[in-house]
Amino acid sequence: MNTQLKNIKFICNDSDVEINIHPGTTVLDFIRNTLRLTGTKEGCREGDCGACTILIGELINNRLIYSSANSCLLPMGHMNGKHLVTIEGLNLKKTLNPVQQAFVDEGGTQCGFCTPGFIISLTGYLLNANNYILSDAVNSLDGNICRCTGHIGIKRAVEKILQNFQYANNNETEKILLLIENNFLPEYFKNILNRLKEISLSLKEEFKATEKSKYIVSGGTDLFVQKWDDIINSDIVLINKSKEKLITEVDGKFFIMGEATVSDLINSEIIKSIFPDIKNYFNLFGSLPIRNRATVAGNIVNASPIGDITCFLLALNATVHLSNESLKRTVPLKDFFKGYKSLDKAPDELIESVSFEITSEKFLFNFEKVSRRTYLDIASVNSSVYLEILNGEIKEIHLSAGGVAPIPLYLKKTRNFLLNKKPEVDIIIDGAAILNEEISPISDARGSAEYKRLLLRQLFYAHFLKLFPEIINAEELL
Amino acid sequence: MAVKIIKSKNFVETDFVESLAEVPVEEYKPWPENDKLKIVGKPVSRIDAYEKVSGTASYTTDKFLPNMVYGKILRSPHPNAILKNLNTEKAEKLEGVLKILSFKNCPEISWYYDTSLLFDKNLRYQGDEVACVAAISERIALEALKLIEVEYETLPFVTTASEAMMSESPKVHGWGNILDGKPDTYVRGDVEKGFNEADQIIEEEFNTQVVVHNPTEVHCSLANWDDDKLTIWDSTQAIFSVRDTVAASLKIPSSKVRVIKKFMGGGFGSKLEAGKHTIMAALISRDIGKPVFISVDRKEMNLAVGNRPDSNQKLKIGVKKDGTITALSHISYGSVGAYPDSAGCSWPLKTIYLCPNVKTEEYSVLTNSGRSRAMRAPGHVQGTFALEAIIDDAAEKIGMDPLEFRLKNYAETDQVFNVPYTSKKLKDAYLKGAEIIRWKRRNKTPGSQNSEVKNGIGMATQIWWGGGGPPAYAALKLNRDSSINVFAGSQDLGTGTYTFIAQVAAEVLEIPVEKIKVDIGDTDFPYCPLSGGSMTAPSVAPAIRDAAEQMKGKLISAAAAILNLPEEELMYSQGLVSSIKEKDKKISITEIVSKTRNRELITNGAREKNPDGYATNSFGVQFADVSVDTLTGKVKVNKIAAAYDIGRTLNPKTLYNQIHGGIIQGLGYALFEERLLDRKTGKVLTTNLHSYKIPTIKDAPEIEIAIVSQFDPLNSSIGVKGVGEPAIIPTAAAIGNAVYNAIGKRIRSLPITPDKIIKALYS
Repeated sequence: MNTQLKNIKFICNDSDVEINIHPGTTVLDFIRNTLRLTGTKEGCREGDCGACTILIGELINNRLIYSSANSCLLPMGHMNGKHLVTIEGLNLKKTLNPVQQAFVDEGGTQCGFCTPGFIISLTGYLLNANNYILSDAVNSLDGNICRCTGHIGIKRAVEKILQNFQYANNNETEKILLLIENNFLPEYFKNILNRLKEISLSLKEEFKATEKSKYIVSGGTDLFVQKWDDIINSDIVLINKSKEKLITEVDGKFFIMGEATVSDLINSEIIKSIFPDIKNYFNLFGSLPIRNRATVAGNIVNASPIGDITCFLLALNATVHLSNESLKRTVPLKDFFKGYKSLDKAPDELIESVSFEITSEKFLFNFEKVSRRTYLDIASVNSSVYLEILNGEIKEIHLSAGGVAPIPLYLKKTRNFLLNKKPEVDIIIDGAAILNEEISPISDARGSAEYKRLLLRQLFYAHFLKLFPEIINAEELL
Repeated sequence: MAVKIIKSKNFVETDFVESLAEVPVEEYKPWPENDKLKIVGKPVSRIDAYEKVSGTASYTTDKFLPNMVYGKILRSPHPNAILKNLNTEKAEKLEGVLKILSFKNCPEISWYYDTSLLFDKNLRYQGDEVACVAAISERIALEALKLIEVEYETLPFVTTASEAMMSESPKVHGWGNILDGKPDTYVRGDVEKGFNEADQIIEEEFNTQVVVHNPTEVHCSLANWDDDKLTIWDSTQAIFSVRDTVAASLKIPSSKVRVIKKFMGGGFGSKLEAGKHTIMAALISRDIGKPVFISVDRKEMNLAVGNRPDSNQKLKIGVKKDGTITALSHISYGSVGAYPDSAGCSWPLKTIYLCPNVKTEEYSVLTNSGRSRAMRAPGHVQGTFALEAIIDDAAEKIGMDPLEFRLKNYAETDQVFNVPYTSKKLKDAYLKGAEIIRWKRRNKTPGSQNSEVKNGIGMATQIWWGGGGPPAYAALKLNRDSSINVFAGSQDLGTGTYTFIAQVAAEVLEIPVEKIKVDIGDTDFPYCPLSGGSMTAPSVAPAIRDAAEQMKGKLISAAAAILNLPEEELMYSQGLVSSIKEKDKKISITEIVSKTRNRELITNGAREKNPDGYATNSFGVQFADVSVDTLTGKVKVNKIAAAYDIGRTLNPKTLYNQIHGGIIQGLGYALFEERLLDRKTGKVLTTNLHSYKIPTIKDAPEIEIAIVSQFDPLNSSIGVKGVGEPAIIPTAAAIGNAVYNAIGKRIRSLPITPDKIIKALYS
């Protein structure tokens, strides 16, 4: 038990920490039990409440970038060379900082248990955003659950903070200095960049897989929910973000590295330029701290029939690039899923990247998802569509659906039926009938089989209603 | 000040509780309207906010004592089983394990109203306690749980009230599954006659789901013994009831038990009772001589520490063409889980609307699932959802506006006890709320909008108790630096108790709030009631006022002695005692204190008695504005307008917090939250916050609040009524009525999920 100790160096708030510890120990346990910094709370231990939110500062291309994360799902191994910020690390010596003061003034705290998490998340937003927008600031709190205030006082606090403090600049160093000047951050943040650079020089080599390795941990956002008590007793391998570019494009061919996070995807200029609505699609994926950690490869290998990223990539007819020590190979994503939670992947193979090609400049795309709670929820059913239209006819179409079969589905029959036809009401109704034959949903906590069939039909219609509002209207369809 | 002992009868959650109470003989004149007050009624920021926003607030879960060890509980995985054998040998051998408590070595401690034991061999739901391991770390305790070998004899089980009512169904206990063998019945007038007089009779059936409190801080206790004295830090809404249960369970005098709670992460009713884990911590701590901390995890929170029971409700209403309600009947079935509790939900129907003929039957039914506990306005939330839907349907049937229909059947007095209300401003609330939401916009024909996304508006009424009452006591101590300590055995769940106590004391003594230090949440302080039933402010605030008024009297008395003037000649104002006759003869609190040397001034205050022959209730209404996407079934709540009669506003900032929070919990109840239980296995499917859906910041709608009351002139000298529960009661009903107004289809079961909407629209 607990044989795999690793030497880890990082900065926690203003203090240097060097410790030998099992790399799978959660940051939450370390800060609460070892450091006794109890401002960070444990609410659910599965990344669903945000009471344990912390900030991670890391060097990326010599820039200091902060992001929020759920410390209950965060392995200590990932803290190596980073800056860990807890609520205690935001406290000024004599007064409250303006975020804390706004929470006091506007009734943003009630029982107070969730409050440190909210303050951390909002500070993360102030550190991250290039210009401050109220709705974005509020959305950055989507991973923090408050059971008392109804979030209304919190929204008002956010509003007040942004009223009193506006800033537009994408230079992190200047932003940090300005936040210090305005009392949002304590003085010591000034030196973190240099301190991290210094630490990075002395970091030990990265952890490598051995035959004893039981878990491969990338973002860990699902693994740590399911297996946290076993991880800590096992040998594990941590996948760190490569320093190379995570998302690239060459002549219409797009590559996404496996360790790219959902946030990387949303914030990528390359992705945004072809999918302007990407933010709207994936704001329905988990919460900000989860999106900051959950990776593209993780979403695929998790093999959940309702993975949102998988659903998105299936409709792009993406290809999976696999590798192990000796071999590299590719598999079309639509053939990657063999059965429920079963993949065309050997245990030692990793998803290096995912690629897809976009040949038409005028392609259409849409993503739909319905869940019981609109945000921070797993889909009952999700669906994506990619379309190319030529002379009023469907020249190419890729359609995917999640939650309606044991695996994420690429809807081949429906595709073949729609190919070379006009997107008109009768055709779409006939297409829905074929779609209905192609799926095999089961009843579970997210809905009955009958409901999922009905819902996928609705989402299928929603694609066409959104993409062809002039040709198709709801009344005729329904 | 003269006091006397009376028999006091107050409404606590679902029942009247009678207790002896010491009350002042003389009563104070009620305060005037808030605009004539200086501190009460003002939006004072929480006095404990600094600790909360800086992370320094220490909750029970943050407590740490040297040598502290950790306990974890093994729970039955079966919905119904007998514990045949338990082998703890392997677990005991695990390094770091200190003690394993089970039926084998634990004294028989009666639990659940003598229907079970702390460790019982009959395990009646998934989650029933089997054993408790204490170890040097939480992780080792968890490892040890896996090493305990248990032999269960599984038994047939029953998971729903309707199944449990059948004669051939398994019995949860030896006796029948219907609690008390019969429904709780209430009759007023003659319902048959009433229905005969009606022009229209409407009968409908409604279902509501089981929901779970899920406060952010889990249930946890830390127990520590010094000699024969036991101290317990507990995340509880009721320090005195924890003290008394622990003392009775351990058969020790209650004076030997001290229970402390300074900060807690919510409760919503689930923390009104002492937990089994608390007793286990105390027992193990006594045995091993170390402090023991036991917390349950989020899964246990969703299995074993209470819930709001479900309901199946059959309602019948008779109305005349002119809108007069002639009769109302209500039969409800609710599953209380494996041990006795109440699942009744008829009260709103008995009292809100004027109706001479009423009959209700409430069945509380035992099932093999986690036991219910009081949850924010128990019964009323379920009952109001059904009642307010059928009221709307009745109005539609006779072609009357739902608001007009409610005004037409307005009850001026309490019809159950046949007494007047100390105050009732529901009419004002109706009109104010309608104005805010712009009621006239609603669809005259439900579902008539010709668009994919349809908007609707609906309303619902609420009634609750919340007048509080004696006994509630507080002590004030005037310190040498002229600051004040208030001591009261009350609790702050996050509701604002700390703050209003400081405000009331500061108001009376006309000194800044910053001069008042509030010490609550400790059984060493004077008794105050549990924090539930929306009765903390109405019970505690008057006791604070009494103690502060007495302090004023003592200051005058001391000044008289110092200044050699008769007391009658002196008056107190803003920290100064001065002569009425000679203006320059005056002395400040600071000077008085310095003259009294080390002798601090101390007073004891008590809550006065409630007026005889009156009922005190809070009243309110919520209007909901919703959009329904008819393609996907998604419901979006755009706005809630809430108008309330809650007596005096002590602090609008904390009051609004309470109302906002209640509304969002009501929104969760209406749209997302549901404990799902697999009927085939008897196991809960929603054991984490991933599957059990609490509203997020993105789900929070705009909320506009209007308080239509100034103060209740008769209930107490403060005139405040509680608001914690009133805030949640009408939300789901208002949203349900708004959804109907939008799509023209009535969803008669909660939660209103996208699947129910699209099935109603397309199946």
